[in-house]
Amino acid sequence: MGLLTILKKMREKERELRLLVLGLDNAGKTTLLKRLNGEDVGGTSPTLGFNIKTLEHRGFQLHVWDVGGQSSLRSYWRNYFESTDGLVWVVDSSDHERLRLCARELRALLREERLAGASLLVFANKQDLPGALPAADIRQALELDSIRSHRWRLQGCSAFTGRDLLPGLDWLLDDIGARLCPID
Amino acid sequence: MWAHVWGFLYSNYFRFWLKWVLRLLTGKCELQRLLGGAEAGARRTLSVEHSLESSKNKVLRNAVHVEEAEVEKCVRDVMKEKKIGQKDTRFKTNLRISLLQISGYKKLYLDVENLRKVPYDSENEEHEEQLIELWHLLMPHENLKARISKQWCDIGFQGDDPKTDFRGMGLLGLVNLVYFSKHYTNEARQILSRSNHPKLGYSYAIVGINLTEMAYSLLKNGALKGHLYNMVSGLPQMEHFHQFYCYLVYEFDKFWFEEEPESIMHFNQYREKFHEKIKGLLLDHNVLLTLPDTKKP
Repeated sequence: MGLLTILKKMREKERELRLLVLGLDNAGKTTLLKRLNGEDVGGTSPTLGFNIKTLEHRGFQLHVWDVGGQSSLRSYWRNYFESTDGLVWVVDSSDHERLRLCARELRALLREERLAGASLLVFANKQDLPGALPAADIRQALELDSIRSHRWRLQGCSAFTGRDLLPGLDWLLDDIGARLCPID
Repeated sequence: MWAHVWGFLYSNYFRFWLKWVLRLLTGKCELQRLLGGAEAGARRTLSVEHSLESSKNKVLRNAVHVEEAEVEKCVRDVMKEKKIGQKDTRFKTNLRISLLQISGYKKLYLDVENLRKVPYDSENEEHEEQLIELWHLLMPHENLKARISKQWCDIGFQGDDPKTDFRGMGLLGLVNLVYFSKHYTNEARQILSRSNHPKLGYSYAIVGINLTEMAYSLLKNGALKGHLYNMVSGLPQMEHFHQFYCYLVYEFDKFWFEEEPESIMHFNQYREKFHEKIKGLLLDHNVLLTLPDTKKP
């Protein structure tokens, strides 16, 4: 293998990013993944275990991991932390009752050492539903402004209709990019 | 590439000439040859379906979409078009059965799709009754303390309110779960108790909803045709779809424990493997996927 090939391989490796999608059950993680991948989002069943898809966006190869959110699966989340570049936290904005639980679970995640370097994108999902809280309320409920450990961004969206997913994703890629290759 | 060219030439030219030669030799049209010779079942009905769909004649092409009430008339029309004597009762009966199977399958898909599109609604008494019935069927010795309760996790729902778990599959997911527990109560309770295995356990209800999705997608893409044409010599009904779901639940449980997955986190990988296995079985024209004889309550 020549030097050039090695350099090329390293360069390609740099364009591969690992994103981890987490959140409570029924937040819309799998729908988000399917929508980003251009699949039909109609018949989604609850996720047992995880889904992984590789997407191409802006020349990046994104390996996106979507792990089931029910309480019995949350203890397995830690198995997926390793070398995560970006963490996507999905919130069901219409699930008022579990917002505090949602905030608690996010806090616990941000304390994880192995996620320390990751950029955090919070999707206030299901904005298409009539009872959905606006993004500003989600920001308050999750106390995002007090986060010091991670660079973060909040984005209201609807995975079901596809609205405003890309601005969130673009921020995430920009932020990871700026961290990985500051000279670019 | 060559397969494409061949397929194009065959369906546009050769098929026509082949049929013409065979007609000269046997004195019968394609439908007559299919319906007179082969035994009843998937092979025959699938061939008839293909023959009708690729026909250049509009009456024949439309026959696969015929309504149940119109079948008799449609049979007569086809016979008239193909100049087959109305006295050929064997042809008539067999074509009638095949048409019922073919158009019935399409109708069944619409019925299933309609049920899937009904979202679970906790304001709807009927929906709530079915959910509570599911609990009683599976947990006869334990009272549900409240409608919203952590107890739902005991039968494998995700949280304290099963409502959200029905999202993609709608009411179809619940009706299937209830059907299996009602008609195969012993098996359902046995499988539920196995699903609580400390190492190989899985979420019973969630897996059930995932299997509803599998049954639904197999029906949707036509893979269930062979099975249903063998199973019912007439109109397939909703009940036959539920029966197929029961088969999947029963077989998946066996499969899961034979495979001994490392943990529930590998569920999707094994679901896919199981899916491939079922798709393989469905390719056989003699396929009939039913539960082994079990005592009904």
